[in-house]
Amino acid sequence: MDIEADLLVIGGGMAGLVAGTVAAESGMNTVLVRKGQSATAYSSGAIDVIGYLPEASEPFITPEEGLTALAGLYPLHPYSVVGYSENVTPEKVVDAIVVRSRESINWLRNHLDGTIATLVGDYSTNIFPITILGTTKPTCLIQKTMDPGDVQEREDSTLLFAGIMGYPDFYPSAAAKTYLEDRIAFGLPPRKVAHCTVQVSPFGNPVNISGIEIARHLDHEEALDNLAEQLKEHVDKVGATHVALPPILGLQNAVINQAKLKQEIGADVFELLGFPPSVPGLRLQLALEGIFKKAGGRLLIGHEVISYLKKEDQLEYVTGKAPRREIKINAQAYVLATGKFIGSGLVGDERGIREPIFGLMTVTGSYYSAGDTLPSKATNRLSITPEGQPIYSIGLSIDPHFRPIQEDGVEWAKNLFAAGSVLAGYNYSVEKSGLGVAVTSGFSAAMNAISHVKEVS
Amino acid sequence: MKDTLKKEGITPYRSDELEIVKSVESCINCGLCIQHCPVVAAVGVNRFSGPRSIAIELSRSPPEFWATADTVYLCTGCGTCREICPKNVNIPEIVNMIRARIFEHRPDLVPKGLHVIREVISKYNIVFEPWETKEEKIESRDMRIERFGLPLIEDPELEQAEVLFYPGCQAEERSQEVREAAKVILDFFDVNFTVLDEMSCCGLPSELIGDYETARFLAKRLQKKVRKVDAKIVVTTCAGCTSNLSEISKRDGWGIPAIHILEFLAEEIGLEKIGSAVKNSTGFSDVHVSVHDPCHLIKHTSRQVMQNALNLLQQFPGVKVTESEANDSCCGGGGLVAYHSREIADAVVKENLDAIQKTGADRLVTPCPLCTAQIENNLFKSGSTVEVDDLTVFLAQRLPRKG
Repeated sequence: MDIEADLLVIGGGMAGLVAGTVAAESGMNTVLVRKGQSATAYSSGAIDVIGYLPEASEPFITPEEGLTALAGLYPLHPYSVVGYSENVTPEKVVDAIVVRSRESINWLRNHLDGTIATLVGDYSTNIFPITILGTTKPTCLIQKTMDPGDVQEREDSTLLFAGIMGYPDFYPSAAAKTYLEDRIAFGLPPRKVAHCTVQVSPFGNPVNISGIEIARHLDHEEALDNLAEQLKEHVDKVGATHVALPPILGLQNAVINQAKLKQEIGADVFELLGFPPSVPGLRLQLALEGIFKKAGGRLLIGHEVISYLKKEDQLEYVTGKAPRREIKINAQAYVLATGKFIGSGLVGDERGIREPIFGLMTVTGSYYSAGDTLPSKATNRLSITPEGQPIYSIGLSIDPHFRPIQEDGVEWAKNLFAAGSVLAGYNYSVEKSGLGVAVTSGFSAAMNAISHVKEVS
Repeated sequence: MKDTLKKEGITPYRSDELEIVKSVESCINCGLCIQHCPVVAAVGVNRFSGPRSIAIELSRSPPEFWATADTVYLCTGCGTCREICPKNVNIPEIVNMIRARIFEHRPDLVPKGLHVIREVISKYNIVFEPWETKEEKIESRDMRIERFGLPLIEDPELEQAEVLFYPGCQAEERSQEVREAAKVILDFFDVNFTVLDEMSCCGLPSELIGDYETARFLAKRLQKKVRKVDAKIVVTTCAGCTSNLSEISKRDGWGIPAIHILEFLAEEIGLEKIGSAVKNSTGFSDVHVSVHDPCHLIKHTSRQVMQNALNLLQQFPGVKVTESEANDSCCGGGGLVAYHSREIADAVVKENLDAIQKTGADRLVTPCPLCTAQIENNLFKSGSTVEVDDLTVFLAQRLPRKG
């Protein structure tokens, strides 16, 4: 039951799927093994590149500005590592980082174009979409369905927050109030905000409904027509130019639904960024799996890598365990993209924080060993602070080829690369850089793995 | 002490349940499973509160597990939640544990349909009421092999053999063509095989009812029968039997593996040998198929098993395969849900039907007699012209005739 491949990616979130797709497109026989879904599927579905510097309160206006600051202050940040190729001279490091990050983000946008997670936005600037709490956050790309259009620029715009009866994640009145207060404080449009509640009852009863049920329901034409009818009444009443819905516009048809609603109600419609697990997060996950398979990659779901064989400086094979079978997977190169604590790429307990598959060295955000760090010592009492929780900066330390290194600074194996949130040195929740680092590091790890395979074969 | 526990309605966790209970502790309440649960998709969280609720609420209410009866019996046990879960929470097994406790302390809350099966099992050691006479069973078998165009391969009646073919209750009593097809295949490749003198259930249905005692009894009974054959391997054609036999053979130390016939063909016979055997087989018209992946093979055993199915189909000339968008979605036939809440089982299969229709295939094949029956009935009811075949039957039909 063995599997042979050029490249094995371990982990099926953003970093792993980007790495796998890049490799498969370059003609490598690529297999991706995953034991479960993780943080990408769990996300809001927006692609952050870099929003804040740790401890700063002002967001970056552009990703380029953010990466330049990071390169100077955090030379071991995964973004910064991109600049340390052998062929990059010191004065070109920042350029190299920006070029690679832009390249990978554009790559992602192009690849997701036309999928259920079609993206809008541009690498040249950060944008500030609205969340279901009525707040805004800096991000770089959002799904087309979340595009608020010109609501935040147009002086005469009126924004209507529309909630759904029986859907507990979104309170339109509270969101409207929070958002309006914010806009008044900054003196920015929209000047008028309203709220309403409509009924979408997938199973006949407007109680206890989850987002995914509404989204699947709205994939059906009649359900959408019904929603349009209700919204139109409210839009006409308050003269709304824009309508904000929770992220439920559809699973397969969200993009089409957005356009249809606009046509039928005469106002722009968009989704707010929601709590995990959100429907846009699911769309993103499914779309990424789609592009990986389309590139010729093989997705092996439901297998957890439980052991490995290493000979000298080469990883020979790993063993994947399904509920009732075990399977040997033998590849020329490997990309470890197992995530952080949600995906169990890192595990913390009373002994410290470790990487459970290969037992790789873990380090803190300041690059001290984290093998003996108790999770409780790496967490603040205050849950939300500008510094964030130090535990999120813990992870693997890598060399310029994105290979995890050992205590002596030498790579653990010549053919093991790492990407995504398993890496140390960045705190995605305060930086707002999670999926951006995943894309750029996944892309970079894949490039390095590809050249490794080409070299040895 | 024991009496007090009984009075309090508490059943202490058995040692083999502890790992399952511990897996619940790692649930982070993220809710990813809800987005993928086919029962939630079919009937909504208000009717079936879904895997997250089973993990974080229902699993933590001993001894009042009985209060969860209206939910835990609607789980089809497909295993999608466990496969999606980033934390490996073993939700399908938690469902079985809860069902076992309800069965023990509040049997009145176990759906009546399940009691009916339980009675059949305890009487006959198989899930279906057997044929009245041997002749009737043979008559039915002959009608079926004629309809499916299969040759008759008599049961080997060897006391010992290298391979024990275990058809499972469904193929033994109802879908007899599956049992016959497997024998055609094994005979074609000159496998030294035999079948049990008398079919005995593997115990999975009892497990799903919550009837732990009977499940253990049946596992033991079967172990004795298997031991007598002294085989090197057990081969089955049923997806549920594959996962359950794999489980109990390991747990009870049978010392031999239990695998699906697809695995046997791909790994023991070999694709190459199969390919050259069917390369020149003539007389078959081209056929366009779509494949349904049974949950008990992909989510309870390993997804790699179905890779074998695709590889095998590739060997057969004139067979075109189109993947359905819902190829790995539960058919609704699992978890014994159909025995008491048929409308739920049929709501779950709807997604499959729409996706199958979209493939444009003339035929759906699946390596599980239960999935075959569930999908076939519902496709027929929906007015579809797509035919459904058990994959074992499909393969046997396309082998050249021996001799």
